[in-house]
Amino acid sequence: MQGGYSGIGYGLKYQSRCISDVKADTDHTSFITGTLSLREENEVHLIRLSSGGTELICEGLFSHSNEIWDLASCPFDQRIFSTVFSNGESYGAAIWQIPELYGQLNSPQLERIASLDEHVGKISCVLWWPSGRHDKLISIDDENLFLWTLDCSKKAAQVQSKQSSSMLHYLSGGAWDPHDINAVATTCESSVQFWDLRTMKKTNAIERAHIRNANYDMKNNHILVTAEDESGIHIWDIRKPKIPVKELPGHTHWTWVVTCNPEYDGLILSAGTDSTVNLWMAPASAEDEATSERLIAESPTQQADPLLNSYGDYEDSVYGLAWSSREPWIFASLSYDGRVVVESVKPFLSRK
Amino acid sequence: MVEREKTRTDDVPLDDKAKRMRDLLSSFYNPDHSSAPKPPSDYENLDAINSTSFDPDHYMNVLVQKSNLEGLLRRHVEMAAEIKNLDTDLQMLVYENYNKFISATDAIKWMKSNIVGMQADMEQLLDKIMSVQSRSDGVNTSLFEKREHIEKLHRTRNLLRKVQFIYDLPARLSKCIKSEAYADAVKFYIGAMPIFKAYGDSSFQDCKGASEEAIVTVVKNLQAKLFSDSESIQARAEAAVLLKQLDFPVHSLQAKLLEKLEQSLGDLQLKTVRIENILRESNDPSKQGKPFESIPSTGHEVSVHGFAEAIRAYRVIFPDSESQLIKLAQNLVIKHFEMIKQCVKRRISSANFLGALRTIWTDVLLMDEVLSEASLADFSLEAGQVTVKKYVASTFTYLLQDISDALLKVKVSPKEEAEEHALKLALEASKKAVLQGSMDLLLDFRQLLDDDLGLLVKLREFIVDWVQKGFQDFFRALDDRFLLLSGRKNPSSQDQGLSEGAPGEKVLVGIVLVLAQLSEIAASFSGDGARGYENEHAFASGEIRQIFRSAAEKLLHHYINMRTQRVSTLLRKRFTTPNWVKHKEPREVHMFVDLFVQELRAVQSEVKQILPVGLMRKHHRSDSNGSTNSSRSNALLDDRMTQKGRSQLLETHLAKLFKQKVEIFTKVESTQESVETTIVKLCLKSLQEFVRLKTFNRSGFQQIQLDVQFLRTILREIIEVEDAIDFLLDEVIVAASERCFDPVPLEPPILDKLVQVKLARSKEQSK
Repeated sequence: MQGGYSGIGYGLKYQSRCISDVKADTDHTSFITGTLSLREENEVHLIRLSSGGTELICEGLFSHSNEIWDLASCPFDQRIFSTVFSNGESYGAAIWQIPELYGQLNSPQLERIASLDEHVGKISCVLWWPSGRHDKLISIDDENLFLWTLDCSKKAAQVQSKQSSSMLHYLSGGAWDPHDINAVATTCESSVQFWDLRTMKKTNAIERAHIRNANYDMKNNHILVTAEDESGIHIWDIRKPKIPVKELPGHTHWTWVVTCNPEYDGLILSAGTDSTVNLWMAPASAEDEATSERLIAESPTQQADPLLNSYGDYEDSVYGLAWSSREPWIFASLSYDGRVVVESVKPFLSRK
Repeated sequence: MVEREKTRTDDVPLDDKAKRMRDLLSSFYNPDHSSAPKPPSDYENLDAINSTSFDPDHYMNVLVQKSNLEGLLRRHVEMAAEIKNLDTDLQMLVYENYNKFISATDAIKWMKSNIVGMQADMEQLLDKIMSVQSRSDGVNTSLFEKREHIEKLHRTRNLLRKVQFIYDLPARLSKCIKSEAYADAVKFYIGAMPIFKAYGDSSFQDCKGASEEAIVTVVKNLQAKLFSDSESIQARAEAAVLLKQLDFPVHSLQAKLLEKLEQSLGDLQLKTVRIENILRESNDPSKQGKPFESIPSTGHEVSVHGFAEAIRAYRVIFPDSESQLIKLAQNLVIKHFEMIKQCVKRRISSANFLGALRTIWTDVLLMDEVLSEASLADFSLEAGQVTVKKYVASTFTYLLQDISDALLKVKVSPKEEAEEHALKLALEASKKAVLQGSMDLLLDFRQLLDDDLGLLVKLREFIVDWVQKGFQDFFRALDDRFLLLSGRKNPSSQDQGLSEGAPGEKVLVGIVLVLAQLSEIAASFSGDGARGYENEHAFASGEIRQIFRSAAEKLLHHYINMRTQRVSTLLRKRFTTPNWVKHKEPREVHMFVDLFVQELRAVQSEVKQILPVGLMRKHHRSDSNGSTNSSRSNALLDDRMTQKGRSQLLETHLAKLFKQKVEIFTKVESTQESVETTIVKLCLKSLQEFVRLKTFNRSGFQQIQLDVQFLRTILREIIEVEDAIDFLLDEVIVAASERCFDPVPLEPPILDKLVQVKLARSKEQSK
């Protein structure tokens, strides 16, 4: 509970699972989120943190016919984002463009740029390359990995290549390496698999059960953070897939999502179904390890607790989590009951 | 004044002569100024009449001015009288000087006349001495020849005597051999050596041969003497000295003797090895072992005595051989200690260890007497330090081994059997291993400390330190071992089916408690240590206890984790396989509930064996701050179902619910209830999360409703149902209804009936 009240809240109308930082918006700190309601009309909210940083303002409210299971903002165009949606029986994925607003808030229609409708099974996510402008998109469903070529001006997306995972492994999600435009990690029930997009071949794998989420470290190459149902958070050097570099205890119940800070080294956020968001400091680079080892050698009893803070002011499981790339000390979290909370981690950074 | 100066300078030539005269006189007679007549007080300037700066004119002026006529006249008379007196004095002095001069001249004249006669006497004396010299030379030359002759004769006689001696030598030597007067023999032979060297090849050949033969026998005899142990050390030492004098290669002898010593040393070791063996054999069956000294020491001590004697003798015989002896002795000590080390490797009771140490120490003391330069005591102290340290370390290792053995044994054996008490046994065994083991260990070490053996007394401080440090390390190692045991078991139990992996978990639970016990031991030991040895510095009991507490907690969590993980796999399978959107009408409670309950019962049986019953049962209820009760949430649920504007209501209800937010995840305590409920809560939460990921049709929702209803009933039979559990069960249904297109619940009668059917069936099965 401590520090929980510093957050700025914003309520969505329905339950929701996903929130994304609008990276391309360089003038404001804004997030985009969508609701998950099976029986109602769903909404996409574009939220902006007021210049004073004390208030969350709704910049845009758009209706979205189906419930949204995944949402990602385009890293180079603030008006474009992708969603994965479902009508309860079947799944779909699409790229949307927010119409020009001109200050009016009367629920204008979203413009669908492209539908990624090659999928059959349950779509888990759509990935943009996180580090900049790239005309490719990745979408992952239960069994397949698609690489799309997106042409915004022509409003078309074409499958460039496709690779099926073996039937035994249902893919549950993925992450695109920010350091390597051709490397993608996908999670499935029993492992994390790494793909080379040029050949669409598997290059490597981390054998580990029940990985729920994976996230590349934006600052350090080769570092991947994974969240697992029961056994917490692991930090991997993907060149050494046997043993994790570091282990964090995670959450009391499942750890649902982890995300590395885009700016501060080793700063990791995790959210879980125990209705908390945890802030960790766990540097994984070699130097840091050496120093930490030295520290341990010097004072074995005073090993610093990697958990910097636990935000507990949530009423339900937290599934959505996003760092702001514009103000990297700010993050937004979204609990299942539709509450967006934006917090600053500044008080913990100074302590570092 | 100026005028007066002028007049004075003018008067200088006149006065010069008189002044010099006066100076001379005054210097010669050194007139006493004080005795000079004191002038009347009126003429104060007149005092200076004898001084060098006397100014007669000024004097006159002053006199004239100051005195009256009468005074002047009187002064004149006085002066005239003074002058006359001075004159006569002068004259007298001159005469006296002259007299002295004359007498001196007379004496010189007399001396001159006397010296003239002496020259002739001297020349006469010289002549006489010359004549004496020539005569003595004459005598000398006349006697020379005779004297030379005598000398020659004398030399010849000496030579003859020597020749005689050499001719006699063989006989004399044999006589000496007979009477065993080897010292004389050697002396004679060495005396004759130069001659033999010079003429041995020619004139005295026979003689030389004979005497050499004799000497060879002498040497032989001497060697025999040297090597015979029966001879007195003195005699042997003498023999060695004599042999050395005979230029005999003593070094080889020394080496030989040393070899002999080494050999005896080897024998000694062989003997001791045998002793150790005997000791071990005699020790094993009777476990406790008789006092060590009684069996072996007799033979052993004798041989060591012998060795010590030999060393003493050797030292006397070869006084310069210490370094070799030291090496030898140190070797002996090292070998002794090595032997002990070997024993220590095998496992040895402290009594035996003590006995072995004692033997070595007595040996060392014995040898130290003989060979104090070797500082064997220090040396063996060092070696002993290492050994004792090793002993302490190995004892701890064995204890650790024992404990993990106790754990592993149980893990392996009761796989198939009815394992009601297996777990309990495991706990007891390991508990005993830890408690008894460390108590025994302590007793052993106490024995070590209480012994008054010199070696141990000196090492006492160290031992205390080592033991304390050993205990710390031991506890850390134990902690590591437990974590390892649990960690290793972790992946395998995940991969294996549900029937496997149980033993590993049992061990875990055992470990948790064992650790708790251990922390107590650690605490009490640290107290004891502080009291017993009065130095509490090294033992950080608090830290150790902390380590164990956290380890216990960690392991408990680990256990819960593994249990819930298995339920999770169960649930995952349940929810990923069917197509929930096309679910058929529920006919009966799904099988996964049975499996879940089965898991739960397994947990319960494990927990019951190991963990204590929580005393705070009632307290728990008030602890979890949810005042939600099932009736309320049921009512709420019903409300929710029937309402049209569901979503808005949902919001408000959610808000209401969260006003009384139920703390689902409270801190786990190591009691039966706490662990059970925690596992149930975690599983139900997982169930809720799985439901949230799916979409249901009406039948699917009803199936969930039915399953949960049954679960609710049966859970009440198994465990103490907290409010949080009730709340979670409700939450599962809420989640399902939210994820349902058409959430129409089953009619309560149908629901009840289905549940009753299932209950009846499960009761039947259990019968």
